[in-house]
Amino acid sequence: MASRTTSTMQMILSVVIVCAVAAAGLALTYAVTKDRISAQDREAQLKALKLSYPGVDEFESVSSDALTLAQRAAGEVPVYGVYKAVENGQQVGWAVMVGPRGYGGPIRMVVGLDRDGKVVGVSIVSMNETPGLGSQIVERASFLKQFVGLDAATAEADIKKLDMITGATKSSRGARHGVEAAVAVYLELQKSGGTTE
Amino acid sequence: MSEWRRVFFDGLSLENPLTVLMIGLCATLAVSTKFEGAFFMGIAVIFVLVMSNILIAAVRKFTPDEVRIPIFIVIIASFVTIVDLSMKAFVPAIYLFLGVWVPLIVVNCIVLGRAEAFAYHNSVWLSVADGLGMGLGYTIIIALLAAFREIVGSGQLQFLGNTLISLPSWYAGPNIVLLFPGAFIIFGFIIGAQHALNRRLRAKSGKPEPAPAQTGCGGCTGCTK
Repeated sequence: MASRTTSTMQMILSVVIVCAVAAAGLALTYAVTKDRISAQDREAQLKALKLSYPGVDEFESVSSDALTLAQRAAGEVPVYGVYKAVENGQQVGWAVMVGPRGYGGPIRMVVGLDRDGKVVGVSIVSMNETPGLGSQIVERASFLKQFVGLDAATAEADIKKLDMITGATKSSRGARHGVEAAVAVYLELQKSGGTTE
Repeated sequence: MSEWRRVFFDGLSLENPLTVLMIGLCATLAVSTKFEGAFFMGIAVIFVLVMSNILIAAVRKFTPDEVRIPIFIVIIASFVTIVDLSMKAFVPAIYLFLGVWVPLIVVNCIVLGRAEAFAYHNSVWLSVADGLGMGLGYTIIIALLAAFREIVGSGQLQFLGNTLISLPSWYAGPNIVLLFPGAFIIFGFIIGAQHALNRRLRAKSGKPEPAPAQTGCGGCTGCTK
């Protein structure tokens, strides 16, 4: 097909032209989908936040200083975001987005805590646990529910009494670490007077 | 037209990329735990295959032999990125399930394989047939595998949020079906069924059985001894 003797110039030129056209095509697609993608991301995040804090529709991100503090308190578990749950202009609690390690990578989850440090909800945004085994931490409704009602003051001891799922040891433990990290974040923010600002 | 039809149907049956050529299996086994995800994976592969086949066939006369692979890869990667961005924007739930397997279509053997083996040597029109046939062949097999794994493994079949089939609640599927070993076993049965079908197809059209694959020294004509 192609001529058998191609000069170096021809080779360079053909690759450059193909790359330029491809780049233009991609730039166009990016421009078209950019807004929709960020809207979808925001929506997914808001949905997870709402699930973790039933009854609240408004969430405000905390300052980056507070986030640094939160990350320090959570230790090894990454903290993706800390939000104030706002109802009628007043803060009623916190939503902490964390990513504890499960069996197949981080489990992105949000833990909602009210002002007194009681866990009000736990929701999982995304995870990559084994279907049928690790994924039971979402599919078994009773598993995440048992974290609800834990008190930050006594969570350290109480959380060890909760049931883990057989066959999903690492995933269950991941979810537990997530809640523990969120509680640690809450205690830290409470200490630094986060609720009163 | 008959040539076009032959190329198209070869992709579905006699040269099915998954059950006969057996390429691109890694992603296939990974995403076939859910019918919905597998279906959209198939759509993505069809799009990438057809578009990259068209473009590669169109520029084949201007493509210097020495740099054809980089050019193929740039074309394929561009279409995969388009699919990637579009899925993220329009079907985020499915994108979340497929995850890394969408960008990995770039290195899926089926796409590069067809570019090199077919599109680079054939007209645009025939390359469309090849892309459609191969893509559809891929989609049918992966959807079949996923539907079976989802029904048997998790006792239900969901599509875009609707539950199409739901087994009684006392049914607890064997987990192995959802794990890799189960995927291999079921896939083996699908390969068997495909070959039985192909044998019948060949007998009907009067085509001879292909000689059993010669591997190792016997399959090569490099040296005459």
